[in-house]
Amino acid sequence: MRRFTYSFILFALLFVLCGPIGCAQKSNSAPVQNVEVEKDMEPVDALDELLDDDFFDDESVSEEVYYDPLEPMNRVFFEVNDKLYYWVLNPLNAGYSAVLPWDVRFSIGNFVNNLAVPIRLVNNLLQLKLKDAGIELSRFLINSTLGVYGFGDPAFLEFGLEPKPEDFGQTLGYWGIGEGLYLCLPVVGPSNVRDLVGFTADVYTHPMVYYVKEFSVSASYYVVSRVNLLSLNPDVYEDLKKYSLDPYVSMRQVYLEYRRKRINDNTMQLRSDNEL
Amino acid sequence: MNTLKKGLLLLTVFFLFYGGTLAASSGPSEVLKPTLEGMIDAIRDPALAGSDHKEARRQKVMTIAARGFDFTEMSKRALGKTWRKLNQDQRHHFESLFTKLLENAYIGKLEGYSGQKIIYKDERIKGKKAAVATVVESTDTAPFTVSYVMLNNGGNWQVYDLNIEGVSFLRNYREQFKSILRKDKFAGLVKVLEEKNATFETESSQ
Repeated sequence: MRRFTYSFILFALLFVLCGPIGCAQKSNSAPVQNVEVEKDMEPVDALDELLDDDFFDDESVSEEVYYDPLEPMNRVFFEVNDKLYYWVLNPLNAGYSAVLPWDVRFSIGNFVNNLAVPIRLVNNLLQLKLKDAGIELSRFLINSTLGVYGFGDPAFLEFGLEPKPEDFGQTLGYWGIGEGLYLCLPVVGPSNVRDLVGFTADVYTHPMVYYVKEFSVSASYYVVSRVNLLSLNPDVYEDLKKYSLDPYVSMRQVYLEYRRKRINDNTMQLRSDNEL
Repeated sequence: MNTLKKGLLLLTVFFLFYGGTLAASSGPSEVLKPTLEGMIDAIRDPALAGSDHKEARRQKVMTIAARGFDFTEMSKRALGKTWRKLNQDQRHHFESLFTKLLENAYIGKLEGYSGQKIIYKDERIKGKKAAVATVVESTDTAPFTVSYVMLNNGGNWQVYDLNIEGVSFLRNYREQFKSILRKDKFAGLVKVLEEKNATFETESSQ
């Protein structure tokens, strides 16, 4: 009953916040990323979309920015996360990487990914991608057994089964829910209303919630998986800061385009691989 | 008569074939490949290695890059409508600053990679534009997709945008420029660019 109340509140929130904003965005001039497609030249994949993206060719280029009315607040949290990165996450990572060799950290990354299979499985199903859902299920079964509790990834190395990352934010996007306003959240990082709802739902799809009762254990798991991820891709944030003139805007744009690509890929993939 | 027909047929076949190879040899991927290979070769050239040869190495890499990349088009697209209000000197100044930033950022990044392999996956042409899809396999990171968006400048294909895992590099700078231009106008943007480039100078002199 409690879970039901939770999901009800979640959905109510989603429709109140995302629905109208998503619509408002559409009724205004089209968002920058929305590609106008001629009827006979429908893009079949991402490469075609690149060619249809005329963001300067036209004199009447839409100069619309990503919907970010909370920018002042977001910038504060961006700074908070920046400090968290340099004062907490980075020193943690330095120690962590010094103690654990790359192979071990890579295996821990595999383990973390394997535990998150339910999220990918459920969301592939919710997007009717039966083939990808099957791949995720096979990956889980193979890696949990042959891969020794998921520390190895024989599913990919031996069977060539690549993970099919899907989360609830992507599922909502797939079914046409708008992004809503952009959010830069403390600790979590870049997000938007839709993906925040998605993130919250994913927390409840993760087995951790049902098997671990102590908050401290879940929190430590989150911190370790976060530090581990950083230790495997140490340069990402620092490069972003190094190469950009306004890291806040740069990150917002990366997040926007990366998420949109993930969601759009779905429809294309669906057409080619997942036809029923 | 029969020989004439045969001859004509041969001629047609020859021209079709020859024309085909001609078109293929100047296609986007065929133009892109030597540019990228040339740049990587120059970066890995043992004669130009080390920080002592940085100046010479960068110069060589950028000479090759200037043939395959259209920095004017990049500057134009990155500035959007502000570009139209600038005079020739301002445009040149901006282009040199932006090119320097790209050099600092991306050539600097490439210099850090130990082993990298570019696999050409697909190519698409539409009018004056083309897109070439590649996958970069590196020993340091997981493989990632990079698509090059190119423009046909009088028969020569030149890159004006890179799309890394769905994220357009040019649009990213464009959004940043827009945000700075809104507050500090063109003069402010020039100042920020100069300051940014200066950070790379101090970094490399250390």
